[in-house]
Amino acid sequence: MNQTTPTPGALRELISFRIGAQEFCVDIMDVREIRGWTAATALPQSPAFVKGVINLRGAVLPIVDLAARLGFESSETSDRHVIIVAQIGEQVVGLLVDAVSDILSVTDDVIQPTPEVASDTAKTFVRGLLAIEGRMISLIGLERVLPDVVLEAA
Amino acid sequence: MDPLEAIRGTFFQECEEQLAELETGLLAMENGDTDPETINAVFRAVHSIKGGAGAFSLEALIRFAHVFETAMDEMRSGRLAPTDEVLKTLLRASDVLADLVRAARDGDTADEARSAAIVEELKALGPEGASEEAESEEDWGDFSFQPLSAVTLETPAAAGAWQVRFRPRADLYAKANESALLLRELTRLGEIVVELDDSELPDLESLDPEAAHLAWTVTVTGDADEAAIREVFEFVDGDCELEVTPVGGDADAGTAPLGDLDISALLAELQDSQVPVAPEPEPEPEPVAAAPVATAPARAAPPPTEAAADPAATHRKPEAGATIRVDLERVDRLIDLVGELVINQAMLSQRVMEAGFARASGVAMGLDELEQLTREIQDSVMAIRAQPVKSVFQRMPRLVREVAAMTGKPVRLVTEGEGTEVDKTVIERLADPLTHMIRNAIDHGLESPEKRAEAGKPAEGQVRLAAAHRSGRIVIEVADDGAGINRERVKQIAVDKGLIAADAPMSDEEIDNLIFMPGFSTASEVSDISGRGVGMDVVRRSIQALGGRIAISSRPGKGSTFTMSLPLTLAVLDGMVVSVEGQTLVAPITAIVETLLPKASDVHSLGGHARVIAIRDSYVPLIDVGMALGYRAEPLAATQGVALLIEGEGGQRAALLVDAIQGQRQVVIKSLEANYRQVPGVAAATILGDGRVALILDIDTIVAVSRGADSLRAEKRLAATG
Repeated sequence: MNQTTPTPGALRELISFRIGAQEFCVDIMDVREIRGWTAATALPQSPAFVKGVINLRGAVLPIVDLAARLGFESSETSDRHVIIVAQIGEQVVGLLVDAVSDILSVTDDVIQPTPEVASDTAKTFVRGLLAIEGRMISLIGLERVLPDVVLEAA
Repeated sequence: MDPLEAIRGTFFQECEEQLAELETGLLAMENGDTDPETINAVFRAVHSIKGGAGAFSLEALIRFAHVFETAMDEMRSGRLAPTDEVLKTLLRASDVLADLVRAARDGDTADEARSAAIVEELKALGPEGASEEAESEEDWGDFSFQPLSAVTLETPAAAGAWQVRFRPRADLYAKANESALLLRELTRLGEIVVELDDSELPDLESLDPEAAHLAWTVTVTGDADEAAIREVFEFVDGDCELEVTPVGGDADAGTAPLGDLDISALLAELQDSQVPVAPEPEPEPEPVAAAPVATAPARAAPPPTEAAADPAATHRKPEAGATIRVDLERVDRLIDLVGELVINQAMLSQRVMEAGFARASGVAMGLDELEQLTREIQDSVMAIRAQPVKSVFQRMPRLVREVAAMTGKPVRLVTEGEGTEVDKTVIERLADPLTHMIRNAIDHGLESPEKRAEAGKPAEGQVRLAAAHRSGRIVIEVADDGAGINRERVKQIAVDKGLIAADAPMSDEEIDNLIFMPGFSTASEVSDISGRGVGMDVVRRSIQALGGRIAISSRPGKGSTFTMSLPLTLAVLDGMVVSVEGQTLVAPITAIVETLLPKASDVHSLGGHARVIAIRDSYVPLIDVGMALGYRAEPLAATQGVALLIEGEGGQRAALLVDAIQGQRQVVIKSLEANYRQVPGVAAATILGDGRVALILDIDTIVAVSRGADSLRAEKRLAATG
């Protein structure tokens, strides 16, 4: 466990995961469960980053390839991939990532603001950066992970 | 929840039932039913509403119900004949009563002028100068406790008697004992006279439902001894105050004064307690007794008293099988779980088959039985949600009366198949389209009485509302005997509004279906009734949203019939499982007319990827599902696949080309929107036996999408807003 010196009160826990060589994290409160990859049923008329839908104990769960969503090269899926089942508002969505690495307990002051960069993707998803043991981990906000319906239709 | 609120909620719920009963009864009488029991049922319905309203001090409601009740009482006693005129007044009165109930529930005020007018009409029906007071007092008796009024179950005999004073404490109820049962137990020992002492019963506002407020004095006549009486109370020993004293019989003359003392004390109490109750007939305790909230004191109202005192009370709930009210969420949860059980069972069967068990092996046979069982469980669970369409049909007579009054067209509504059952959600979502269609039928469908006379039809128009089960779906028809669709005019309007080209060749059927187009409305002037900016296209959309279709058939001069076909439940669907480009898809079987293996000679290209297939001398478009959904870029050769001939909502036909048919099965519908969003061409999803998600085709969208880019965009917009 990578524990930073915790200050009581403002402590939050994050789940960090890997996509390619990059490390990201999301708030643990958004995560419902983590499960292995199972083949998804492709959805027609869907953006490339939507891998399809799978059966999560009777519910239909859309799978978002987070690599493709964040603008990285999406990798061929294999049994070694992991799905992070996350709650986004009223919806439950599966996020396809390469591997889950850690649970981080950090205080808010450890999270640095995202530097000004040109990338829209960065602006849309990256909520901040963490430097932990020399690694850079991007904190991802999940609100806009699903395709934006209004933009799609326009 | 606040217990009073809960009781209030129950009261209004029961009011709805009473109102429905009331209207049913009146309509039956209008159709010539002279059964005194029907009149009684109507009377009781009004009476119960009045009683409940009294408990909540709903003044407007009480006053109106009282006048109504008086009129019904006249009829019940045969002094008022149920003529058409009288019944029309009563029906209108029932509408006003319904308004008042709703107003009371929502805290609004109802249309006072209207109710005052009806009150006058009702009073005109009632007995001249009849003493309302006397009437009122006699009635209130039913729902107020008569403090200490002695109710004689059986004639008390003069033999050896015991007086039992029984005052339960709250603990008694907390331990799930029941006073009524104890009192009933006493009847086994001899004839009993029960007196209720409710002097400690607080006002409803300050009533603690967990506490005990009532006491009884029971005189047991017979040859039981004290021990036998005490034995009855053995289990509540310590949780009540119990006094057993001998009274009456000559042998016990010595102890008589004790009994007398008690009685005089009770008499004093009686006088005390009667003072606040008698002049102001506010029947407070009644709702407590009637409420299904099973708090102990509520049950403590002695059932023998109720049964004996009010013969009407026994009629209050018709003995049509015991029912319970269940939270809908619990039922839905159960349905969900059973759905999962079905999927799980299918998965298990598939795995067992894959494992190579012989069909006749014990495992396989056990699984077969399991399959049958799960299917039966599923059917039974679905049946819980099923309700007769009566609940929505019942609202229509009132609508017809109102629209008839507004348009000045006399209308008769005929309903058939009210007992036809369908899923509750379907029923709820049927109300709006049906309302709209019936309004339309009267406003646009029926001619004015003069025109009807010219055409040699009876002045009274007829609107028929019928429901029936047909091949696993419910079919609802709304038919009028009006002039039928004016095709000339419909076509002209469609041309004027730019919906169709002026020279478009159209069959009669196609013209009739124009009225379902968005932006079409034949009402030349916006009327109060139909011109609400909602057209038949909205009706069609709401029917489609329920997985149903609507069609119209019309004969000039004879009338029009709208036919809606709806699924019985929204939870499962009979599907044809097909494979397309390695994907498993489900097509709703209701849309499939037939399946065929296309012959090369029947398939013709119209240029590009557009193809038609000849089916018995007519050409229908052949749509490659794989291409329509974007699974493949090049169309499948027609001879390599199977064509499903389908009929869309508008009656248009098309052939869907798929790679292969896997089979037919009932699937549980799973929402795609819950966690994602609507996908064009996909109606919903389901989970197949292998645990994978399969998509259910939205056949109409697929047909529309393959018709051109325009519809594709339209569908996308729809998907975005939907």
